[in-house]
Amino acid sequence: MHELSIALSLVDAVCDELPRLGANVSVRSVRVRIGPASGVSPDALTFAFDVAAAESPIAGARLEVEAGHDRALELTALEVVDDATDC
Amino acid sequence: MTPRIVEVRRNLLRKNDLAAAALRDRFRTAGVFVVSLVSSPGAGKTSFLERALTLMRPTRRVAALVGDLATECDADRLRRSGAPVQQISTGTVCHLDADMVERAIDGWPLAELDYLFIENVGNLVCPASYDLGEHLRVVLLSVTEGEDKPLKYPTIFNTADIAVVTKIDLANAVGFDHPELLGNIARVRPGMPVIEVSARTGTGFRSWMRFLEHRAAEPLERHVV
Repeated sequence: MHELSIALSLVDAVCDELPRLGANVSVRSVRVRIGPASGVSPDALTFAFDVAAAESPIAGARLEVEAGHDRALELTALEVVDDATDC
Repeated sequence: MTPRIVEVRRNLLRKNDLAAAALRDRFRTAGVFVVSLVSSPGAGKTSFLERALTLMRPTRRVAALVGDLATECDADRLRRSGAPVQQISTGTVCHLDADMVERAIDGWPLAELDYLFIENVGNLVCPASYDLGEHLRVVLLSVTEGEDKPLKYPTIFNTADIAVVTKIDLANAVGFDHPELLGNIARVRPGMPVIEVSARTGTGFRSWMRFLEHRAAEPLERHVV
C-alpha cells in the first residue's frame, strides 16, 4: 500500500527528531501538511500511520493533517508532552 | 505537564530526493544518459523498451533496469535484445525509488554505458512522487486506454518530459481519437512532446531515436521532479 510506505517514512522522520526533544518526552500528535497533487490521501495516510506507529517509540501518537498546496508532503510539527518524573 | 509544539518542517520525500540527486550526479559524472519509463500496467513499456534496446545495441552501449512486484518476465524479454538487464523485484511496493535503483546498479561500470533505461512498475499514480535520478522521464499510454487518461492522471504527466502513445497500429480498430488525446495532453502539460509508436510494426521509432539522441546531447541536467 502506497500510504504505508509514506507512513513508515513519517514514523522514521519523527523518531529522528526524538533525541533533540529531550529525555522523557512523549509525542502526542504528529502534524503533516498534504497537498492535492502529492499523491497521498489524508484518510489512507491516517489509517496507515496508526499501523506504522504501533510498533514504534511513538505508538499512540495521533496524526493531524493540514491541507497544503500542490505536491506538499511535509512533517510540519510535533505536539509533545514532557513526562514529569520528579518535582 | 502542558503539551508544547515543536516545529519540524521536514519534507517526507526528502530522503528519496537526496538519494536521487546523488544518483543524478553520479550518472552525469559517468556520462550515462538515464531514461525512465512510466505507464499503467499493459501499456507496452516492455515491448517499447525491447524494440528500442534492439535498435540501439549495434551502435550504442545500452542497459536496462526493470521493476515489477514479482517475476523476472520483463527482464527475460529485455535480455533478448542482448543488453545487460537487471530485474528489481519490489515485493509489495508499487513504485521504484532511488534506493532500489542504487542497489540494482551496484557494481555496474556506468562509465561504459551510453544509455540506461529504467522501466518502472506499471502504475500511473505512485511513481510520480519518486525521483529516480533520471535525465528523461517518458510516460507511455496506449490507444486502448482512453483519450481522457492525461486528465485523470495529471501529476504523472506533469512529472514526465515526453508522452509516447503506444500500439498505434491498433488505432483504427479501437476508434482512437488523435486530436482529443493531443488536446488533453496539451491541457495538462502544454508543450509536451508526443510521439506515436508501434513496437510491433516499428512505426515512430525513428522519431523516438531522434528525440532521444537530441536530448542526450544536451547538458546532463534535468528539471527537478
